[in-house]
Amino acid sequence: MIEEPGLSDQYPTASPWPLFVALGLALSEIGVFVGLFPVAVFGLILFGGSIAGILTESGYVERPWPTLLGVGVVLIVIAAGFTLWQVPVADIALSNVGTGPLFTRLVAVAAAGAVMIAMGGVASVMEQTAA
Amino acid sequence: MVAGDIVLTGLMAVLLVGVAALLTRVENWRSYTPLAGGGAVTGDETTVINREKPAGIIRWLTTVDHKDIGLLYGLYAIIALAVGGIMAMLIRIQLVTPAGAILGNNAYNSILTSHGITMLFLFGTPIIAAFANYFIPLLIGADDMAFPRINAIAFWLLPPAALLIWAGFFLAPVTDNMIEPARTAWTMYTPLSVEQANPGVDLMLLGLHLSGVAATMGAINFIATIFTERNEEVNWANLDIFSWTILTQSALILFAFPLLGSAIVMLLLDRNLATTFFAVEGGGPLLWQHLFWFFGHPEVYILVLPPMGLVSLILPKFSGRKLFGFKFVVYSTLAIGVLSFGVWAHHMFSTGMDPRLRASFMAVSLAIAIPSAVKTFNWITTMWNGRLRLTTPMLFCIGFVSNFIIGGVTGVFLASIPVDLILHDTYYVVGHFHYIVMGAIGFAAFAGIYYWFPVFTGRMYQRTLGKAHFWFSMVGTNITFFAMLALGYLGMPRRYATYQFDGAIAPLTQVSTFHQAATVGAVILFIGQLFFVWNIVQSWLEGPKVEDGDPWNLERDGMLDREFQWFDEQLEADSPEKDPSLLADGGQEEQDDS
Ligand code: HEM
Ligand SMILES: [Cu+2]
Repeated sequence: MIEEPGLSDQYPTASPWPLFVALGLALSEIGVFVGLFPVAVFGLILFGGSIAGILTESGYVERPWPTLLGVGVVLIVIAAGFTLWQVPVADIALSNVGTGPLFTRLVAVAAAGAVMIAMGGVASVMEQTAA
Repeated sequence: MVAGDIVLTGLMAVLLVGVAALLTRVENWRSYTPLAGGGAVTGDETTVINREKPAGIIRWLTTVDHKDIGLLYGLYAIIALAVGGIMAMLIRIQLVTPAGAILGNNAYNSILTSHGITMLFLFGTPIIAAFANYFIPLLIGADDMAFPRINAIAFWLLPPAALLIWAGFFLAPVTDNMIEPARTAWTMYTPLSVEQANPGVDLMLLGLHLSGVAATMGAINFIATIFTERNEEVNWANLDIFSWTILTQSALILFAFPLLGSAIVMLLLDRNLATTFFAVEGGGPLLWQHLFWFFGHPEVYILVLPPMGLVSLILPKFSGRKLFGFKFVVYSTLAIGVLSFGVWAHHMFSTGMDPRLRASFMAVSLAIAIPSAVKTFNWITTMWNGRLRLTTPMLFCIGFVSNFIIGGVTGVFLASIPVDLILHDTYYVVGHFHYIVMGAIGFAAFAGIYYWFPVFTGRMYQRTLGKAHFWFSMVGTNITFFAMLALGYLGMPRRYATYQFDGAIAPLTQVSTFHQAATVGAVILFIGQLFFVWNIVQSWLEGPKVEDGDPWNLERDGMLDREFQWFDEQLEADSPEKDPSLLADGGQEEQDDS
């Protein structure tokens, strides 16, 4: 599998990740605060993915997938925590997505978390089995 | 609504797939895994490195080199300066006649708001970061910043921040004015900023939040760099003055910006999720003012300390003398840093706060003038009996000192409660802070750009154009902002789109005369900046190459700092047949042994 060396292998002063970490953070903030569901979900995925990428590239972790999974878990915990704290139990229902302003946003955060957990999990397994 | 969501989902999906595709094209992330070579930054199987950086636009999008990032910050700040400057010209043209010449009230308020925020957050902070990024590592003998990637992340947060802050201007025409530019003024006082339903305000707040995140990341990076990356020869006793001011500024940012960020989030929640942080039944509207100014006053020192450092660094070079009382300049920097957190309520003297509290804020505000004056006396004493060379950077330094004195003294007047109760919310305040933000901070930025122009371009600017730039700026600044001080004494309130008040508030004839004078000054100032842009662009492209590592002849006074020594090494290492445009990169380390 050793093909072309990547950009950051070739050039010590280049890394493709920072741009996307920043873009991911910007999109996440817009999505969550303005309440644009798709922007929030994709922004958070981009953010989490870039964090996994940049940590791997700079050698803080060995493989990106557990990080991605971890970011997903953190997001779900945050969303669940806020929901239990601020949303009345009776209102926690899938049919309420799109009506309660806070609840919808929290579902977006949780959805992004779930996608990241799935991606991280599947990729980890695939990597293990491929090796 | 549903259709909109589907479109957005599609757009976002395309974006994400595009990002992933791009990443796979430029980056081989499999090489990170232990399977393919160690997971370190450079796998050892990599082919011979013959250049430090990828070519073309990819280089600029992926760079983590502090010098490149410094240049990016610089470009960004200059663009913001141009945008903010054009907004300022619109404001000045509007006010030539009492009825307002070109703008409606809403347009005026939008432009006024954006002008302030653009200049402070998109020009002021980034231009300082530009100098700090490029030169702090060189001055302290570090290879790069402590966290190069975080450095790049901090920069890349800024373009989205600018787009968000200006979003209302782009979106108003396409959304049928559903989303308009914010009209909150840069202080975003509640209840006004909660009640404006316009989503453009949310976007602006998010942009500000991002710029705050960026500033905080940068500050952490500078603190870590200055503490841990100095080379053995640099210790606390001989650390240069610019690094000292950046260190202090970074500490201020670390305490002030997260607070602004939190206050902005609270405001966003009040606006969108019906919380009551700033509502009468909650924390009350004055809470915003306290939080904002607890950030806001340190912010003005965040903006002025590094320019003071630049002047303290550059002015001695052209005076032929070492900075007078270096130690005291450092102490006064630290003193200002501490005191700046104890004066915020001088922006709130007229809000009906407790008079005893008010008096203590007045005392600290008067006290903070002392370290500022210490610096001023030190600059003057440095020049005293010196061998002055009136180069362009030196002219801008002298202009800085002169404008800072006027700005500072008017500040001391405002810090006195009885005077402030009369002058608050008049043009006097506008004149005061513009003497500092334009007359001092702007001038120091120009001084830095001219002084280091040879280092970051490898070329020399055109001296005559530089001097024209200085004199137009100096004359323009003083006409414009002195007229504003006079307008304030006449009682002209700030933030008015028109002033047809027929003597009821202020004498109309004099007021319009001074407004016209201010506009004439602004035009002169504007012309000066045209010289600047022309000079920089043309000299960068075809100015004469600098062949000497000491273009300012500093060796003879023993004042050649480390960044020029570095520059000299670059010149030596750079063999003549090399592509000259690579010079600015400094990316020639591997050639050193040749
Ligand atoms: C010598 C020290 C200074 C003192 C004692 C001082 C004092 C004051 C006071 C009392 C006010 C409030 C006036 C009012 O609204 O009624 C004020 C406003 C202001 N000052 Fe200063 N100042 C000083 C230095 C500076 C510096 C160095 C800067 C900028 C870098 C600055 C920027 C501002 C700004 C931006 C405002 C207006 C804020 C607004 O209402 O929009 N000041 N100053
Ligand atoms: Cu203040």
